[in-house]
Amino acid sequence: MEKKLKKFLQNATRVAPKISKKGELFELRNGLVSQYPQTRKDAIKKTIQQMTLGKDVSSLFPDILKNIAASDVEQKKLVYLYVMNYAETHPELCILAVNTFVSDAQDSNPLIRCMAIRTMSMIRVDKILEYVEIPLRKTLQDDNPYVRKTAVICVAKLFALNKELCQELGVLEDLVFALEDSNPMVVANAIAALSDIYSADSSVVPLPKLIQQHVSQFLLALNECTEWARIIILGALAEYTAKDSIEAGEIIDRVTPHLQHANAAVVLASIKVVIKNIPKIQTNVDSPIFSKISSGLVSLMSTPPEMQYVALRNIRIILEKYPQLLSRELRIFYVKFNDPLYVKLEKIDTLVRLVDPSNLKQCTLLLAELKEYALEFEPEFVSRAILALSQLGVKYSDVKFIRKVLDIIVELCNTRDSFQDDCLISMCNLLRHAGHEEDEMITQVCSLAQVWSSVESLLQTDYAKCNYVWLLGQFPAKFSNIEQKLQVFIDSFTQEESLTQMSLLITVVRLHASLSGSVLQNLLNLATTGTDEVDVRDMAIMYWRCLSLEDSNDDLINELCNSSLPEVATTLDTFSPELLETLLAELSLLSSIYYRPVATMTKFNMGSNNGLKNKQLDELQFLARDEILKNMNEDNLLDFDDDSNSATNTAVTNSSVLGDLNDLFDFTPVQPQPVEDSMQNLSLKPKTESSTTKSSNTKDLLDLF
Amino acid sequence: MASCIYFCDNKGKTILSRRYRDDIPTSAIEKFPSLLLEAEHESSVVPPCLTHNGVQYMFIQHNDVYVLTMSRSLSINVAEVFSFLYKLVDVLAEYVKTVEEESIRDNFVIIYELLDEMLDYGIPQITETKMLKQYITQKSFKLIKSVKKSKNVVRPPSQLTQSVSWRPEGIVYKKNEAFLDVVESINMLISANGQVLRSEILGKVKVKSHLSGMPDLKLGLNDKGIFTSDDSSNKSDRSTGKNSNIELEDLKFHQCVRLSKFENEKIITFIPPDGDFELMNYRLSTPIKPLIWCDAKIQVHSQSRIEIHCRAKAQIKKKSSANNVEILIPVPEDADSPKFRYSHGSLKYVPEKSAILWKIKTFNGGKEYSFAAHLGLPSMTDVEVPKAKRPIQVKFQIPYFTTSGIQVRYLKVQEPKLQYQSYPWVRYITESGDDYTIRTA
Repeated sequence: MEKKLKKFLQNATRVAPKISKKGELFELRNGLVSQYPQTRKDAIKKTIQQMTLGKDVSSLFPDILKNIAASDVEQKKLVYLYVMNYAETHPELCILAVNTFVSDAQDSNPLIRCMAIRTMSMIRVDKILEYVEIPLRKTLQDDNPYVRKTAVICVAKLFALNKELCQELGVLEDLVFALEDSNPMVVANAIAALSDIYSADSSVVPLPKLIQQHVSQFLLALNECTEWARIIILGALAEYTAKDSIEAGEIIDRVTPHLQHANAAVVLASIKVVIKNIPKIQTNVDSPIFSKISSGLVSLMSTPPEMQYVALRNIRIILEKYPQLLSRELRIFYVKFNDPLYVKLEKIDTLVRLVDPSNLKQCTLLLAELKEYALEFEPEFVSRAILALSQLGVKYSDVKFIRKVLDIIVELCNTRDSFQDDCLISMCNLLRHAGHEEDEMITQVCSLAQVWSSVESLLQTDYAKCNYVWLLGQFPAKFSNIEQKLQVFIDSFTQEESLTQMSLLITVVRLHASLSGSVLQNLLNLATTGTDEVDVRDMAIMYWRCLSLEDSNDDLINELCNSSLPEVATTLDTFSPELLETLLAELSLLSSIYYRPVATMTKFNMGSNNGLKNKQLDELQFLARDEILKNMNEDNLLDFDDDSNSATNTAVTNSSVLGDLNDLFDFTPVQPQPVEDSMQNLSLKPKTESSTTKSSNTKDLLDLF
Repeated sequence: MASCIYFCDNKGKTILSRRYRDDIPTSAIEKFPSLLLEAEHESSVVPPCLTHNGVQYMFIQHNDVYVLTMSRSLSINVAEVFSFLYKLVDVLAEYVKTVEEESIRDNFVIIYELLDEMLDYGIPQITETKMLKQYITQKSFKLIKSVKKSKNVVRPPSQLTQSVSWRPEGIVYKKNEAFLDVVESINMLISANGQVLRSEILGKVKVKSHLSGMPDLKLGLNDKGIFTSDDSSNKSDRSTGKNSNIELEDLKFHQCVRLSKFENEKIITFIPPDGDFELMNYRLSTPIKPLIWCDAKIQVHSQSRIEIHCRAKAQIKKKSSANNVEILIPVPEDADSPKFRYSHGSLKYVPEKSAILWKIKTFNGGKEYSFAAHLGLPSMTDVEVPKAKRPIQVKFQIPYFTTSGIQVRYLKVQEPKLQYQSYPWVRYITESGDDYTIRTA
């Protein structure tokens, strides 16, 4: 019997004509209506192949559809695959299949019921959607959880296609009811569907309230479901704020086991929930919960690089809230030779952030490690390492240590070409932190810079040039031929960028007594006429006016020239408190990678440059306000009274948008550091501050002049 | 939620795609190759997420393909996305062996089918290969024979949505066996003067389960934190007077392990999936001494020659031996005409890696070998090339040995209905991790 059957099958396949690989439309069409089932199936496969290659095979739609009624599940799946693909682009064709969908949705095989309902709810035609109601309702109540879990997602699909219809049908209530389902996967998909709907229109489903009502169910379901369902449920739990410390403690207890899940996304989702609840419970730094979080985070460092990247960006956020959290895990974050560059850079940042500034041994260890990094060959990596060296120096903040750092950087500067920019910036940062009284260090840096020839081409970036000019102005006694050195930059003034321009202005004004008179005049001329930078121009006008005041008292000029700088406290950038809280609530989301809360999405545009400037101004205004309030008496300068009030106001209002600006600023994931520093650098020059205040209030100024 | 999944070739051109939502225009994927180029052009730092025109691109690379997903929203869980993409590649690999451009093109139908099962509307659903194989109907090319087609029509297995979603019922083996592989990878960073800067042990316990029915397994390890309910083993320990318990860190478990049970009672219990899976992994950061110690003196006489004296020693027990030892020593890119003197293994100059590769098939414990090499350097060099400092990389495998000293105390198998006898097998191996490096001076 079996032999006979085999023979028959063999014959059947031999007789059934094969479809050639060319996939010509006519051939496929003939194949689709062939009398041999094998040929038909083959033809469907070939059609789908053509579809994958991007050919338009939509004209075969009716012929394909004839094959949908087959009892062969495999073939049916293929037909559905085809239909789903064209559901989007050729919805009108799908109407032809509507009867099949409806009957398939009642098939005895759950797989087919699922396919039917899944496909139906994707087709963007109102006519079809009208037919959806009954099958959808039925499948939502299906005995089989596999079907139910598919159906709940279909509600979200339907909502996205036709909101009104979805509300009319009342399936949303069914969806809410699915949260009570006995099967955890259905629950998880229901949460996912609800949050999808909620994010589209928060008025139709009271998601936060629903989560609140189901917290205990969610906690129970956690242990019972797939890893992906756990992520969804944990995500929902992270949205919930515990009523009291008891509840928060319970949530933490239930969630912490999942810190040991093999799936990194589950770990991160658990960390998020725990962090959300920590403030509610009484904890001290030694609480075991912190060591659990720490070990969870550390374990993420043995995942694929993309995941490490996510983890590192998130660790950056968490560290700002709990700086001590990982201070014992320094070595874990050492850069590995094979790490991709984007991971390496994040690791350096993390290293400097998590090092404990009261632990000399650790800092020395890190110093040696960073020095090794600075000897690597990838340019981005090296410049980041050099910057990190200075950040570490400023963080540890001990003169001896800083001297050691400075020695390393000076050595690097001498031995490695093309890193002068970074070395100079780093050295200047160190000087700003500790260099006021440290003559030795100043001499060291200045004698290094003194011997450079053709500085204007040696230094590439605006920021490095700005630092160089600042150095000249700050320690003129250490340089010879200052006028010549400055003249080079003044000659190319119009080609320089704004930071260098400003720095030049400040320096020349500062040194004007020792320079020949024409230099200052020349520069002020250039700055008021030769640049489009409003800030630079305003600053020049301000200086000009101050210097040319009739009864110019020496005090004012002295003040302008000799004021000393406040010390740089840290060169690590930080988030504003509001932003930090928002980011903590958005851990593991894409927004946390960019340090940009979801809520700012709408305001976002790609003009991050613009954002930079705003941020700088903003920060400056803060400082300027204090400065102005202190120097209130200097009314003779300008009519400052009105001005300062308005400045104060803007500063205050701006503080609320600081968060947003912060994000805009931080959005560029690649090396935000130098710019951040540039801001700090600027903000350290009191005179820039007062001048920029005016520039931000350009209108007032114009009125005045 | 992910809006779509794309498989792209190494230039970023689409091989196969599946769209789950239509909130992203088709032009977005056409932009991907140029986005990649742009990002590479701007700097060598290309993060795995890019933004363009309000569309978020997230991707991983595997062999010669990019696996890409896109979304409109910043509120997408990016950790989940990457985790899923890696899982997707894993699952595909079980169907088509190697996931690469060709195998994707050859198996498009099955990949479509898998994509439909694994993601619904961009929400990850079922990724357990053992279960997927039960009801994915298409045959893949590489697999000679997929699951035997049963007479009944394919249906989703009922376990799929239950709490044990990874194991179908009715599995039968004639001989019930479970194989445990304890694999430890050593990552180590050694400074030029031989100081260990960082060392870590990444361990995993892999299980191959050939067990019938729904067995409940209990694993006992000699970890301090893990409670050994087996009194006899504790007693024997005490009687021999040796406390060999170790302390594992960062234990991570496969989803089949009852995590809350572990959290509360420190017992590892689970119902295993059928076949191969990784039960748990752990990390140990206790300082360890280099297993394969290597010291290379590299003298560069610029513009004439370079001399290398290298010694390597297997600092392991006399009885054990390290297999397939490979030591890769970097040399300048423009070196030529190598001359070697060595006693053991094979020595080869690999110009494409600018390195010398020293291979030793078996390296017995306690032995020390050395070689001397001499390479010429061109007498004329243009501008001084920035010296690229690359470390020495070492690879090795040491069977029957774990660095941490972890031991499987017992593996108890209990199948409530069938009550069969089962045989657990355990193997240990230590190998170099992907970062076992020695810095050069």
